[in-house]
Amino acid sequence: MEYLLTVMVLIGINVILATSFNLILGYGGLMSVAHPIFYAIGAYCSGLLAIHLQIPVPLSILIGAGIAMVLSFGVSLPSLRVSGDYLVIASIGFQLGILHVINNLEFTGAAGGLTNIPVLNEGPSRSLVFVLLIAVVAACAVMLVGWIVEGDYGRAITAMRNDEEAFSALGRNAMNIKIVLFAIGSGMAGLAGALYAHYFAYVTPEQFGIFTSAALLTMVVVGGAATTWGPLVGAVLLTTLPQAITFLGLPVSIMAPLQGVIYTTLVISFLFARPQGLTGGTRGGGGLEAWSASAAFRARRRAE
Amino acid sequence: MFEVQNLTARYGPLVAVNDVSLSFDTGVRMGIFGHNGSGKSTLLKCLVGGVRDVSGAVAFGGSPIVADQVHRNVMLGIGFVPQVQNVFPNLTVEQNLHIAGSKSDSSFLEEAYALFPLLRERQDQLAGDMSGGEQQMLAVALALMTRPQVLLLDEPTAGLAPAIVKNVLGSLSRINTELGTGLILVEQNVLAALDVVERAIVLKGGRVVFDGASEELRAKEDLWAWF
Ligand SMILES: Nc1ncnc2c1ncn2[C@@H]1O[C@H](COP(=O)(O)OP(=O)(O)OP(=O)(O)O)[C@@H](O)[C@H]1O
Ligand SMILES: [Mg+2]
Repeated sequence: MEYLLTVMVLIGINVILATSFNLILGYGGLMSVAHPIFYAIGAYCSGLLAIHLQIPVPLSILIGAGIAMVLSFGVSLPSLRVSGDYLVIASIGFQLGILHVINNLEFTGAAGGLTNIPVLNEGPSRSLVFVLLIAVVAACAVMLVGWIVEGDYGRAITAMRNDEEAFSALGRNAMNIKIVLFAIGSGMAGLAGALYAHYFAYVTPEQFGIFTSAALLTMVVVGGAATTWGPLVGAVLLTTLPQAITFLGLPVSIMAPLQGVIYTTLVISFLFARPQGLTGGTRGGGGLEAWSASAAFRARRRAE
Repeated sequence: MFEVQNLTARYGPLVAVNDVSLSFDTGVRMGIFGHNGSGKSTLLKCLVGGVRDVSGAVAFGGSPIVADQVHRNVMLGIGFVPQVQNVFPNLTVEQNLHIAGSKSDSSFLEEAYALFPLLRERQDQLAGDMSGGEQQMLAVALALMTRPQVLLLDEPTAGLAPAIVKNVLGSLSRINTELGTGLILVEQNVLAALDVVERAIVLKGGRVVFDGASEELRAKEDLWAWF
């Protein structure tokens, strides 16, 4: 039972992460892979505040999310200058740089990780209560993103993703939208991190590396980029799948690489067979089509 | 209205526009011609601040055009239609028009439809699914939604069938006479464009090598030598 509840907490965390990543990557078309670092910033900041300054946990969680939001400028400001492939590289640099700092500071527990983080709630049904809390937060995350991408603002986001030059030629400021998307998305990731830290009471730097970027990317692509429900479906699927495999009782030497193989296979098969993801429609730019539309469009215009 | 003084634009070591000075007034109808790579698009982009590395000065109606601040510059009253990717493929026609119109009035929408009735018929179609000519009409309509005093168009007829070229250029002419909107037009279809504009400049290697009445350019024996 406890095991099941723990899996459900992980699902909730991943739904928040994938949904917020989708806001930046899917809807915004902002090719940053540094999302897990904001997850880390939320987890570490909240944990450290609660440990060293004895700040009440609920408050430290909110502050952790706020710090992640503010530090998102570290990625959003460079993204005003560079975009596309360059942003991928710049964001990897940002992610690895901060991870390197965390890995080497004694203060953060270095490579060993931060331990003895105060938990948010205690008591016999602590996990159940936490599952309910995380379910509510995840639902709010999905609704918040759904609300942002609806209506006028959502259309402006799509237009900016389609073409920044044309967007600014109409007197619209792409910079503002990018900053807002990164801030909200990163704040949500920070919140997920803080919640994680105060449930498991322990975080290590390796949780927030490139592998996590890849896992989140897989969730978004498989579920359907730039769709409301896609990241949720992707997060549920890709959190339960590895857990299900553990029941096969395979030795670790096979298990670990198998997980990588599954992720890779999923991403590649979806890229070829179902670029709109599980939930994306075929029209209107859901899924990978959201990103490829501009490129395909450019190619067609050139050919005509 | 536009004052361009000693404008030089660079991409790294490459000088794309070289020491260009020009000025033109409200209601202008001007064509910018020249062979591929002569700096036409770059010059046009400089007029809205779309090129980062520039020296010299550009002003519109007395206000300086600031490099890299396209979204602010265009609000001075400039409509800019880029050479490629000038509509939003993932949005419908009507949604496209709202992107531009969100800083303006919805009555503009009716005007845009009156000018291009085809767009009303297609209002729920995704812009990315329209033909090249239809997209070009939409691009012009988009730029008009900001109520510009002058419209800068980068090859609005590129890749269009001759009949449609006439159609698009005809609409532009109408916009000029009916709304009094100035036109600054980069064109490869030189002869068709010369019918619409009254002043022509020719660029070569980023420099202005001809600046005069369009009739004068048309009369040039060696017209084709320029291109
Ligand atoms: N973004 C850029 N980065 C680097 N060089 C560029 C860029 N844009 C244009 N150039 C170069 O600047 C020069 C002028 O280009 P520009 O696009 O202004 O020419 P053009 O006259 O519009 O050509 P075309 O008729 O092919 O559209 C060319 O040599 C081109 O290669
Ligand atoms: Mg050009």
